[in-house]
Amino acid sequence: MITNKKYLVGVFDDEHTLKDAFQKALDKGVVIEEVYTPYPIHEILHGMKYKTHISHAAFFYGLFGVTAIIGGMYYAAVIDWPLLFGGKPFNTFPSFIVVSIVATILTITILTLLTFSVRSKIYPGKTADIIDIRATDDKFIILLDQDKMGIEIPAVTQLFQSNGASEVYEKESSAN
Amino acid sequence: MYKTDVRGKLIDGEKSLSQISQEILEPINGKTPKWWYAAMGISLAMFAWGAHSIYLTLTQGVGTWGVNNTVGWGWAIINFVWWIGIGHAGTAFSIFLLILRQKWRTAINRAAEAMTVVAVFAAALFPLMHMGRPWLFFFVFPYPNTRGPLWVNFNSPLFWDFVAISAYLLISASFWYFGMVPDFATIRDTTKSKIKKAVYGFFAFGWTGSSREWLRYEGLAFVLGGIAAVLVVSVHSIVSTDFAVSVEPGWHTTLFPPYFVVGAIFSGFAMVLTLVTLMKKLYKMGDFITENHVDAVCRVLVFVSLIMGTAYITEIFIAWYSGSEYEMFTFFKNRITGEYAMQFWAMFIFNAVVPQLFWSKKIRRNMWIVFTISILINIGMWFERFNIVVTSLSKNYLPANWASYSPTLVEIGFFIGTIGMFSAGVLLFFRYIPQIAISEVKMISKYNTQQTDHLKPGHHHDYE
Repeated sequence: MITNKKYLVGVFDDEHTLKDAFQKALDKGVVIEEVYTPYPIHEILHGMKYKTHISHAAFFYGLFGVTAIIGGMYYAAVIDWPLLFGGKPFNTFPSFIVVSIVATILTITILTLLTFSVRSKIYPGKTADIIDIRATDDKFIILLDQDKMGIEIPAVTQLFQSNGASEVYEKESSAN
Repeated sequence: MYKTDVRGKLIDGEKSLSQISQEILEPINGKTPKWWYAAMGISLAMFAWGAHSIYLTLTQGVGTWGVNNTVGWGWAIINFVWWIGIGHAGTAFSIFLLILRQKWRTAINRAAEAMTVVAVFAAALFPLMHMGRPWLFFFVFPYPNTRGPLWVNFNSPLFWDFVAISAYLLISASFWYFGMVPDFATIRDTTKSKIKKAVYGFFAFGWTGSSREWLRYEGLAFVLGGIAAVLVVSVHSIVSTDFAVSVEPGWHTTLFPPYFVVGAIFSGFAMVLTLVTLMKKLYKMGDFITENHVDAVCRVLVFVSLIMGTAYITEIFIAWYSGSEYEMFTFFKNRITGEYAMQFWAMFIFNAVVPQLFWSKKIRRNMWIVFTISILINIGMWFERFNIVVTSLSKNYLPANWASYSPTLVEIGFFIGTIGMFSAGVLLFFRYIPQIAISEVKMISKYNTQQTDHLKPGHHHDYE
């Protein structure tokens, strides 16, 4: 959450200038707080060095789901209430597979969505911490924290502007 | 690496990113056109008839339908399979075309997914009502209960189907919704209306477009896309086992799962074609849904139509080749000829013959013909399900059991009602939700030259 911080905001008009400036800033050792874009840009996601383990999480949800579902069906059909269908075995495993696949997929989906929601702090009715309102429309925003950016304001302004930034402005964010 | 002109431009006109937002959001921000109200009125009237039919079914029972002991499955199951088939387009579009790196999907996937959610919902109503006592619907959930405790039968395709349909509905709805979150944020940040800002802001889940969000969003899309691909194949395979696992002539065949899956994708793509031609004409989305997009869908349909034709002929051939007189009777005396020949040939001509017209580029580029053919395919696919359900049941092994089937007004009303529900749902979607995935279209706008440019060596961007 943003609390009384001083920011420097670089506004870019297109992806190419943003990527250029982003790369040059990184090369100069500028610490970039965050980048806001209208659509995902791979080079930026890569350069920001964040990692997500959501697919690993999904794999373990799948393991959990398939164990719970096959275990549950085995419990119901063999232990809790075995029924005789013309001498067929109680554990009709191959025909458990169909439900296992589909219900596992459902488990993975629900748990992965929850994980996404919790980790990204994306949930219904949340008030967005908007830095520059145009970032979801047509502008590409680089946000620097003035205390941590590791470069002086004039230098970074010059860097951004010489690489095609359409605006560079300071922004103070109060607690929200 | 090849580079061809096969796909053409994906967005017409040199559009800036903000123009893309504005033009796609025009139906939400602008005035609602008069035809919308008229269409909504008609849809709601149809829906009202459907609601009345459901009321009659609930209060008087399934006896109000034309089904009998021999033909126990009538229009309800035909319509169920038909709607589920249509509901396959959304995921097929989003997932398969995503896996195949087809960038042209971005203009269409949102509409296809929206359609999926409404269609699957419409489909689910039919087996629910067919239960006879839908208020005991919860018996189908496997949970420790006081009825025995009696568990559901995990070996029954009908139970598999219940799990598959519920999972499909939930997953396609969440896939659709999370695709819309960034677009809702765009509406929140560009609209001038305070009400829209609040409402879309609520549904935008606090989205800002930060790199942290996009990173996880991409991860989520990757996971959901990967597993939902399995679902596209499995759901309709499971629907087919409702038939294939029973010992009825014409049903008991291993061809059914692939035949049903391909049929589902076929009817789903046809319905997508119906919708996108409407979006082009009624909402002037022609710059985003170009002739090249329609062309691409038509090409898919030609191919799938050939598979359908092959499946029909395979069924007939195997009936003869097996030497089973019951199979032979069903196919040669009760489908190709006989009481239901009209329905068989309607199916064959609409699904296997008419779509072959799409080999011609002129026809693929004529929106009226494309629209008409897409409707014909939808009708043909309905007849396919009629063929499967009714012909096999009406004359099975024992001639003493034979009976014919015709629907009552209640069944017809129920079907019309779901069509009304579907079109009302689609109209609401047109009006209140961005019809085209804005952020995805923005992403491809930079490749707005030739579709196959991204295959150039050294050109990497694997974030989809």
